Amino acid sequence: MKLFLYFSQIIGLDIIDSQGNWAGRLADIVMNPYADIYPKASELIIRRGSFPREYARINWDDVIYIEDNIRLKISGDQLKFSQGMPKCDFTLRRDILDQQVVDIDDQRVVRVNDIHLLRVENQLYAAHVDVGLRGIFRRLEWTGAVDLIVSLFNAKSTYLTNEELIPWKATQILPKLGRMKSVLKLEVSKNKLSSIPPAALADIIQGLDIFARASVFKSMDAALQNKVFTDMTLIYKAELIDQLREDEVANLITNIPADEATDLLMKLPREKVHHLMGLLGSETNKKLRKLLSFAKDSAGGLMTTEYLYLKSTATVADAFQKIKENTNFPGTIFFLYIVGDDHKYLGTTSLRRFINEDPQTPLLNTCYPENIHVYTDDSVEQVALLLERYKSSSIPVLNHQDILQGIITIDDVLEELISLVWHKYKEKL
Amino acid sequence: MSFWQKAKENKVLKNILIFLAMLGPGVITGSVDNDAGGITTYSVAAATYGYPILWTLLPSFIVLLVVQEMNMRMGACTGKGLADLIRESFGIKVTFWIFLGLLIADIGNTATEFAGVAGSMNIFGISKYISVPLTAGAVWILVTKGNYKISERIFLLFSVCLLSYVVSAVAAKPDWHQVGLAFVHPQIQYDKDYLIMVLGIVGTTIAPWMQFYMQSAVIEKGTTMEDYKLALADVIIGCVATVAVAIFIMVACAATLHVNNVTINEAKDAALALKPFAGALASAVFAFGLFVASIFSATILPLATSFYICEAFGFNAGIDKRVEDAPQFYALFASIMVIACVIILIPNAPLIAITLWTQDINAMLLPVVLISMQLMVNNPEIMGEHVNNRVQNIIGWSTTVILIVLTLMLLVIPTLDLIKAH
Repeated sequence: MKLFLYFSQIIGLDIIDSQGNWAGRLADIVMNPYADIYPKASELIIRRGSFPREYARINWDDVIYIEDNIRLKISGDQLKFSQGMPKCDFTLRRDILDQQVVDIDDQRVVRVNDIHLLRVENQLYAAHVDVGLRGIFRRLEWTGAVDLIVSLFNAKSTYLTNEELIPWKATQILPKLGRMKSVLKLEVSKNKLSSIPPAALADIIQGLDIFARASVFKSMDAALQNKVFTDMTLIYKAELIDQLREDEVANLITNIPADEATDLLMKLPREKVHHLMGLLGSETNKKLRKLLSFAKDSAGGLMTTEYLYLKSTATVADAFQKIKENTNFPGTIFFLYIVGDDHKYLGTTSLRRFINEDPQTPLLNTCYPENIHVYTDDSVEQVALLLERYKSSSIPVLNHQDILQGIITIDDVLEELISLVWHKYKEKL
Repeated sequence: MSFWQKAKENKVLKNILIFLAMLGPGVITGSVDNDAGGITTYSVAAATYGYPILWTLLPSFIVLLVVQEMNMRMGACTGKGLADLIRESFGIKVTFWIFLGLLIADIGNTATEFAGVAGSMNIFGISKYISVPLTAGAVWILVTKGNYKISERIFLLFSVCLLSYVVSAVAAKPDWHQVGLAFVHPQIQYDKDYLIMVLGIVGTTIAPWMQFYMQSAVIEKGTTMEDYKLALADVIIGCVATVAVAIFIMVACAATLHVNNVTINEAKDAALALKPFAGALASAVFAFGLFVASIFSATILPLATSFYICEAFGFNAGIDKRVEDAPQFYALFASIMVIACVIILIPNAPLIAITLWTQDINAMLLPVVLISMQLMVNNPEIMGEHVNNRVQNIIGWSTTVILIVLTLMLLVIPTLDLIKAH
């Protein structure tokens, strides 16, 4: 008895009942995803006839063996055949074979060509999915011929030995429309996506079809959603929120960095923005309204209003306290801004500058000597020049009354410059 | 306030803008339909039978509309390409044979398109050894350097160029009364050649690869069921435009060639033959239309073929991917182009045989693709609540059955002839 077998090799096998009579052919295998690390076979689905085609379910305990045919403990009369595929939660042929799955290790979406099954103590487990070329030829029943031809040309060809198998635990099945309207299914099969870094996950999601995108996204927890959403390209963000409920959208907009939220809102039709703004909390609403009023390519349009600031009377100890309280802060926590009355900007300091200072030292004494800042109507180029000249990674943005409005970090500038460069490059073409 | 902002404020203008943004897949697919092969069939038919054969365009229109609407709905509803859906619903074996057939047929189709390029440029005195490689180069650059948006705009521009046939038709000074009469009182002949011609016209309007292209274009456009009405309008406009162009081609040929008893074998002959009867302008415009149609389809055919093959077998695909990221896609695309060009550039290539074989493979594939589509569009596990309703099913299945009978006849009639001859 072989330890491993391929699903393509057993699908369609004859099923023989306890009296030795033919009962039908194997149509599908129902799996129990809760069982172990690997889903375990719980029932066989057997088919017979063509017009009409009938199906019946067989409990796994009634199966004696699977070899050249499948032998049952029960007699054929005990099988209840009916027309139409029986409704099951999770089956190999319908839900895995030929479908797209996410390969967690290589962080890509692949199509399943075959399923590698493991047989232990008369139980059948789905161990790997096969995504390689050999799997395609095995399905077409050409393995022998293709192997012969390849070995004639190159006996050491990697094709002959190279099985592209992905372990089940590194495979995330994707929800299908209609059948799995809820995201329940993903939770059942354990959501393995969370082990992928958010940026890579954002890439994977963008590669899926529009509905799978929404279902996969909804299956993630809120914290992961925020990170992945932040990392998605603007066009995909706009497409995705069309598929989400309003409260979900409002939550996302509240929890992603304010400058990213502003970029997204600028991309949307005006009516939709009005509507969304109404759903946001008053604080987020005020913050975003301010950011939205600046020109897109000005310092005001680039800046985020998420920064840590302290009063002019604060000490180094207060600064440490502030950082400790804000480890989950969406913006930078390494730079602190000191403001006077009316939020007038006084100076910038960083963790690097005060980490070795005495806790009682006034924080104002640790500020950078150069007072660098930009105004809300300054251009992106000016911001980039200043950041480069002072080798800094962030810069405060003031209005003309020297009131601190927000800050710009270097990644925001890069994003803007890349798109500028890209436009110039495209014009040249 | 800029023009665009102003336009967005105005309700009517805004709706027009939204509509224009949705325009695309249907119009482009419809225009690709009037490719070199189509123009040949239309002109030969009209030159031989004159105005009375125009009625065949009516059933063609209905068939085209029904099939494209189904593709649009499937794309909008599932977000998946037809190739994906066939693979997921019917398994790898069916998929493999469908795509092997499509690949061979599309290499043949692409060769016909390049034959159209060669023929039309020949009229302007340019040798095929110059026109074909240059065109192929231009297509390659458009595909590898462009993105979907740019390509779509160029394609839409192409679609507009096809209106040049209106000029040819008007210059031919047709008898519009007879044109109208052909639709109101169709006169059907019952001999074998006539039947083959009718089948040819309906068959050229609906080729299997179009279904794959249509659905992929709908997805790339990001259409969902919320946009259904606009997308449907796009499909209808596309079908109307396709059939309108076909009418003008046939009118131009019927008014000149048929009236003067000139018979032709190729679209190029039609352009040449128009000159003495409708003037040099009409002839040049007709040739220009043929050139545009050929280059247009020579771009989309290889592209669509490579795209859906990769889709079905799980390779990376798309013109927005770099060559390193999607090697199989670009390899397929390049091979189809190269093979098609080489076939045309071989002196004395058996073009008519290639065309006939391609049509036969298409005819065999069509039933398979249509039945697959009907089964999927009725499957609630795929379509959810948007499965065919009773009316859609009656139209859909009867279209499928009629097309299958027609294509079977197209295959059987030449065989019967062979048997009779012996």
